[in-house]
Amino acid sequence: MDEKITPEESLLLITKTIEETKQRFQENGHIIILWGTITFAVFFFQYVFVLLGWYKLFDIIWTTILFPLGAIYTYIYIRKNVKKRNLPKTLLSRVLETMGWALGANLLILGFVFRQQLGTALAPIFLILLAMSMIVTGASIKFKPLFIGGILLNLIGFGTFYFSTDYHGFSMMLGSVVGLIIPGILLNKAHRKEHV
Amino acid sequence: MFNDLDPILHSQLRLSIVSILMTVEEAEFTFIKETTGAAAGNISIQIKKLQEAGYIKVEKTFKNNYPNTTVSMTSKGIKAFEDYVNDLKKYINPQK
Repeated sequence: MDEKITPEESLLLITKTIEETKQRFQENGHIIILWGTITFAVFFFQYVFVLLGWYKLFDIIWTTILFPLGAIYTYIYIRKNVKKRNLPKTLLSRVLETMGWALGANLLILGFVFRQQLGTALAPIFLILLAMSMIVTGASIKFKPLFIGGILLNLIGFGTFYFSTDYHGFSMMLGSVVGLIIPGILLNKAHRKEHV
Repeated sequence: MFNDLDPILHSQLRLSIVSILMTVEEAEFTFIKETTGAAAGNISIQIKKLQEAGYIKVEKTFKNNYPNTTVSMTSKGIKAFEDYVNDLKKYINPQK
């Protein structure tokens, strides 16, 4: 196949190929929904465990089971997905992947190592950092619900400073629903619609 | 008034390959094959032509004991593609 084409056909071919290539990279929201659910579950169980007086058990569950399991699953899912679809690297995918891992590691270190130093600021800082990554991701992949979810998450983060720590778990649950789960589901729907 | 369109790029499959490579940092042969839907032999021929023109860089390695070809744009190729698109625009909209 070495057929010559008209200039109009060439321009159309370039646009179509670039669009099709970009579509193959589209984020399906799966990992965002997963982390939204994990965050929601962690803080839901925190309330349950506090009610039962099992503080220590809760710490063990979120630091050694839920978050590490989420990280392992995320790693396997991304590797498998890239391999299965033969996806090459793009600058955007590299930036988003690095940001995701850096965010995860920082949140874990802040929550695990610097918990005492951060005191009542822990939950708001968690939410603000998470919001920043959602805003950047939403803007980069040009998906408005994720961008708006990130802004709302940011506002929830700032608002959390005004509440007593007794309510910080609720902020985390609300933040995970507004900033991660709902935009993640919408992104997943948009992805499915484009790949039908 | 009009520059001649680059004959290396002004071919359907070669233009598709270059358009893919302009979107990514580098791509494996299988990705190009899946995205263009062209036959492997034909893609190999066009990749060789683009490589000979100095527009793309081809790296042959092994992945899980299988030969793996990775292709990426060179700076010469990027410049040629940009010039080609500008020339196309001039052809389509001569007044601009």
